[in-house]
Amino acid sequence: MLAILKAAQVSKIHEHGLIFKKQRRVLADVSLELEEGRTIGLMGDSGSGKTTLGKILAGLERPSAGSVIFQGRDISRLRAKEFLEFRRAVQMVFQDPEGSLNPRKSIERSIHDVLSLIKIPKSEWKERTLDIFETVGLSEELLCRNPCQISGGQNQRVALARALLLNPKVVILDEPTSALDISVQAQVLNLLKNLQKDRGLGYLLISHQPEVVSFMAQEVFVLNDGRLTKSN
Amino acid sequence: MSMCHDMNAPILQVVGLSVRFETPLGLVHAAEDVAFDIHETETLALVGETGCGKSVVASAIMQLLPGNAVVDGKALFSKMDLLKLEEKEISRIRGNEISIIFQNPSLSLNPIIEVGEQIAEPLQVHRKMARRESHHVAKGLLSRLGLGERSLMSMYPFQFSGGMNQRVMIATSMILSPKIIIADEPTKGLDRALARDVAAEICKVMDLTGASLLLITHDISLAGMISDRIAVMYCGEIVEMGKCKEVLGEPLHPYTRALLDCLPERGFKPIPGASPSMIHPPQGCKFHPRCPHKTQECMQKQRIRKIDGDGRQVRCWQY
Amino acid sequence: MAGDFKRMASCKATEWVKIRRLDMRGLRMALFGLLLFLTIIVLAAFSDIFAPYDPWNRFEPFLAPCREHILGTNDLGNDILSELIYGSRVSLIVGFGAALMATLIGTLIGLFAGYFRGLIDEMLMGITDVFLMIPQIPLIIILAAFLRPSFWLVALIMGALWWTSTARVVRSKAMQIRETSFIECSRSLGFSHMHIIFSDILPNILHVIMPKFLLTIASAMISEASISFLGLGDPTMKSWGMMINFAFTRGGFINGYWWWYLPPGLCITLSVLSLVLMGFSLEEREEETMRIE
Repeated sequence: MLAILKAAQVSKIHEHGLIFKKQRRVLADVSLELEEGRTIGLMGDSGSGKTTLGKILAGLERPSAGSVIFQGRDISRLRAKEFLEFRRAVQMVFQDPEGSLNPRKSIERSIHDVLSLIKIPKSEWKERTLDIFETVGLSEELLCRNPCQISGGQNQRVALARALLLNPKVVILDEPTSALDISVQAQVLNLLKNLQKDRGLGYLLISHQPEVVSFMAQEVFVLNDGRLTKSN
Repeated sequence: MSMCHDMNAPILQVVGLSVRFETPLGLVHAAEDVAFDIHETETLALVGETGCGKSVVASAIMQLLPGNAVVDGKALFSKMDLLKLEEKEISRIRGNEISIIFQNPSLSLNPIIEVGEQIAEPLQVHRKMARRESHHVAKGLLSRLGLGERSLMSMYPFQFSGGMNQRVMIATSMILSPKIIIADEPTKGLDRALARDVAAEICKVMDLTGASLLLITHDISLAGMISDRIAVMYCGEIVEMGKCKEVLGEPLHPYTRALLDCLPERGFKPIPGASPSMIHPPQGCKFHPRCPHKTQECMQKQRIRKIDGDGRQVRCWQY
Repeated sequence: MAGDFKRMASCKATEWVKIRRLDMRGLRMALFGLLLFLTIIVLAAFSDIFAPYDPWNRFEPFLAPCREHILGTNDLGNDILSELIYGSRVSLIVGFGAALMATLIGTLIGLFAGYFRGLIDEMLMGITDVFLMIPQIPLIIILAAFLRPSFWLVALIMGALWWTSTARVVRSKAMQIRETSFIECSRSLGFSHMHIIFSDILPNILHVIMPKFLLTIASAMISEASISFLGLGDPTMKSWGMMINFAFTRGGFINGYWWWYLPPGLCITLSVLSLVLMGFSLEEREEETMRIE
């Protein structure tokens, strides 16, 4: 099967220091392919560059060398409109569930913002919101609350709902459950699995928990000092 | 881990503790009818999910709750009811006889005071010890925790790693050799390997000093590793309590069983539904909306509790 | 609710007690400030109702306080109480105008510098540094001396100069919020930069901008008074600073006519006090929420 999203020899060097720049190599020649309907697990110690690789693949950071290839084309060469298409097709869900929503907006506002972004007519908003809430297993009564008034698992589901509204092909999951209780973790992982079955999503699952990765992923890679190795 | 507690009278006895918060949204039933004993040198783990009220129990015992909390019940500690003590008396007990290890070590330590001084300070305040002497004691304690180098005493918390800071926290709470230590999620936010280290650290300290430990955690496998007895909390109530091996080996309450099924080694089987609201908790057994074995009885009546001979108890109609 | 509750439970209660006490004291101060400020605004808005006379009307000059003229009259025979009430208008307009302009410019520059960083940040902050180096009061004095003095001009100049500290505060806050994951989420969902800046970042720093705004009004009012006192204000407008200036130059001080120079001074002090009280308690509340989080 053709890879939708591909990292081709991606390197990332962080520079710090004001005058005397020090360089630190975060990623070195990393190549990775993501396909529809498959989950790739990515493991590594904290600070090994897992999140950086995720952000590069999601187009949120630029690689220092190498390229990210979306449906056969380098994303740095895409025109604005094509880049937007890439943006929507590749979504990222972050670790910190309570921080992934604007604390000053109600859940409903956060969802509606996305609906207006993808130019859904206002008359369909309510229906679409309830639809996506059902998909991720949330009840309607949460809509009027603020992010700090719902639990971590619910926040994570709202973040997922927002991402799913864009009909992505690939979702990059950065430690989606490590801040959650074990029972909620089990719920979210199973939800992710079901969504993959229904919608044929491709996942890159970044996690430091081997159990989570082996539960979800068909293939597992390990990042160590910026180098990627395949693990059994 | 110590096992010689069976004969002794409990060192801390909590009876019928309930905590409610008055909030603009309504009355929050954070803890209801919580009862447990802690014996000398014993470790009791209070296990439950986020927001089930387990930290509230600890804060209530130490009178550390905000002003809008309404506390009922008793917490008997050396013939005193901790819940009824004046602020002056309870603050003498805090740290001196019962101490707390807080969640976030890097936030609980003062960033601009040397680590050694922070550990030694309680000695100077509570025991009126001279500075030099107190530092000597502090150094001895730190070296028992594996931070023996002389230079470490004059370093600052930001120069330490999270695990080292956690050890410093443990040392500050140990320095007055309290009878009970309350550890409130001591491993939260640490990655797995570090969490195990910290757990081992706490165990070692318990063995060293012979203090009792009330461990509050959401990590049921951590509780299994270091505690003698486990109390499982759900929605403000202790639903099951008993010896560690028994509770984890043959769980009785459906919630305990479901919680254990969520563990990675059992394949992440989720519990259906969500935790109930603590403002409007369900009637009858609080777990019944999510319970596979629920009967008419569970939905209507208050649950009963059954206590076996050796302190095992469970809140369920099945037994 | 779960969040509130968790926060409550995880917060050490000793801190809570402190916070609540602070809060109550702060709240009372803020309420006092608000009340005072509202009074001044009402006085300014309905001057013609509250003032007993037209401030330009001439009566017998140098009258001591009496029943007809509660605060007496000045050298031209204008009723001082009426002058005082009408004077609040100029002071408030200058204060508000300057602060509004300064806050708007500062917020925009801070937001863009903090959000985009890199070259834009360096350029905008370079401009900010240049503005910081301008000696402000002397510049206002010079400009006011050379141009035709008018209070609009004074407000405009102050507004154009005083945005620097707001810009710096907003920038650092914007940089901080930019790193949180909900901004990354918005970026990954494909929201435009403008949407992120004004819909995600701005509402989260309004609570920093508001106290800044209030304090800027206060300092603009003081500056207006000092400039007027130096005789560089608008002589055709009656402001509190102008009143003190006239009292000073036309013998009010020497003859000890306290009813002439004391009331405008008190008015300036009280309005600045009301603003500062509100501003500080807002700032304090902000610090508290940070502590709780």
